[in-house]
Amino acid sequence: MAKKEYLDKYPRSTARSLWVMTPIVKVLRLLGKTIIHRPVTVLYPYEKMWMPENYRGRPGLRFDRCIACSMCVRMCPTACIKLVETEDASGQKVMRPQVNVGRCAMCGYCAEYCPVDAMTVTPEFELAEYTREDLIYGPKRLAYDGITEKMEIHLEETLMSDIENGNPERRVSPFKTDRPVLEASKCISCKKCEKVCPVNAVKMVEHGVNEKGRPILYPEFNNDTCVCCKNCVEDCPKDALHINEVL
Amino acid sequence: MMSRDIIDVKAETSALNTQKMWVIMGPQHPFSHGLWTLKAQLDGEIVVDAEPIIGYLHRGWEKECENRTYPKIIPMADRLCYAASMTYTHLYCMTVEKALGIDIPEKAKYIRIMADEICRIQSHLMWLAAVGTDLGNLTVFLWAMREREFFMDLNVRMCGARMTTNFPRIGGVRNDIDDEFAMFATRCVERFEKALWDIIAMVDDSSIFVSRMKGTGILTRERCANLGITGPAMRGTGVDFDVRRDDPYDNYDQMDFVVPVLKDGDSYSRYRVRIEEMFQSCKIIKQALQKVKAIGRNAPYRLKVPSKVPAGRAFMRMEDPRGESMMYLVSDGSEKPYRLKVRSPIFVNVSAAKPLVQGCRIADVPAVMAMIDMCLGETDR
Repeated sequence: MAKKEYLDKYPRSTARSLWVMTPIVKVLRLLGKTIIHRPVTVLYPYEKMWMPENYRGRPGLRFDRCIACSMCVRMCPTACIKLVETEDASGQKVMRPQVNVGRCAMCGYCAEYCPVDAMTVTPEFELAEYTREDLIYGPKRLAYDGITEKMEIHLEETLMSDIENGNPERRVSPFKTDRPVLEASKCISCKKCEKVCPVNAVKMVEHGVNEKGRPILYPEFNNDTCVCCKNCVEDCPKDALHINEVL
Repeated sequence: MMSRDIIDVKAETSALNTQKMWVIMGPQHPFSHGLWTLKAQLDGEIVVDAEPIIGYLHRGWEKECENRTYPKIIPMADRLCYAASMTYTHLYCMTVEKALGIDIPEKAKYIRIMADEICRIQSHLMWLAAVGTDLGNLTVFLWAMREREFFMDLNVRMCGARMTTNFPRIGGVRNDIDDEFAMFATRCVERFEKALWDIIAMVDDSSIFVSRMKGTGILTRERCANLGITGPAMRGTGVDFDVRRDDPYDNYDQMDFVVPVLKDGDSYSRYRVRIEEMFQSCKIIKQALQKVKAIGRNAPYRLKVPSKVPAGRAFMRMEDPRGESMMYLVSDGSEKPYRLKVRSPIFVNVSAAKPLVQGCRIADVPAVMAMIDMCLGETDR
């Protein structure tokens, strides 16, 4: 039997719609069909729906991996992430992200842009609390047991220049190869970039003395350790730094 | 008899000299899906005059975008309309790509097409559920929502979120799809093509349903074009236009599908156009899956794009589940857009509320307005 398309088959002729048995027969047939079918609903609190591993629930944090580069703070579209001071295992004071889950849009940008894969997504979605204060997840509370490799979301991108050269390979987080570039005429040797760098990739190097006899310091960047978090670019008081994007 | 400004509808008029009365339907009235009001002036049972009132859901979306960098607007574009999140995100990404002047990889184009069509089906199913409750049949609502759930599961498999998917990115898509997903998608679509006939049997074979829809809310072709109505509501009145076919974006020109056009112009033809569109979307998903498979597993699917968009203007349009949505971007060369204007289809379609319901009985108003498929998130922005 050739299957008729919907628009050929309907609308039914008026004579046919007058025959009232048609819908009754069809509904009875469907009833028989649904009786043998297993239910599509689940008894929610007792059994749960299947969730894939990369389900975007609340963000999770691997405390030891984090370098406090504030990339997640910068990328968060709802500004719900903040860096706060906590103590790590050895009792040292460190900065780690704190997430206000009440504001979180579960977009997964923090996991995507994390240069060291410390931020992850977790399949945890039951986040109801009694007060709003309870919804603020501190760095310790953000930890999630059993973070697998699929929960760290990698930014797999291809460079446009690679495609032109006929080598379209995917690179993981290619923004990490961007480097800050100094415009030396604007630099005032304030050392701020050295202070804000989370991985100590900036080193102030002396380039002679000025007319008052004080040393002129220019930042130099260590290409091996830099993760391109743009902290130095954002905090430069004279806008002397900019990012050279590799495209 | 009073003068009536009905242009092409021959309406009944009340023979009794009754006093006219304004009835405010909404924003909490169950017929208004979303927050909007329909002021209807009644002459007995017949609607003489009507006025839609919108603006209850204004969030300052366009202004908010001016304070955000380009990637941060993608999750916001999801929230324009939760039923059509994929298409709006896609549209935004296409607009920025046009401003950047880049061409994205082939694989990303096909994945986007497939995601769009999944989004179209689940949006239409949500509309079908709303029509079911508006016309007084809860079974249609439950069945349509049940079918929609399978497409939600596809969304979860694809990108890890059910509704606000945040999937297309500037320069491609968020993640690749795997063979497992292709298998599940094919199975889901083939299952759905059979299951939709059950719902059709509930609605189209029931003379009660059809008599509520047939002959109500008639709009002629010329009137529809003058009002600027787009989408299935327009194709139901006989205007043969679909952006996917007539001004193809991404790789829609390589897809084989039929644009359903019906000439009756009543609510029932709008209903049938949407049902047929769901069948066509299933066809497109299957084709797109094959094309993705043919391209290969290790092909690029996302480009690295510059964070700053060169100064200039860009405009894109696409076929949303509800009509033709457009975005206009003005960039001043910085990391943030200078202006981002959204043209939402429902904002224009709701202006047709007056000609649609004039001359109807008050009991037909929910049935007529349900065929517009209201979504106020994108209307008020």
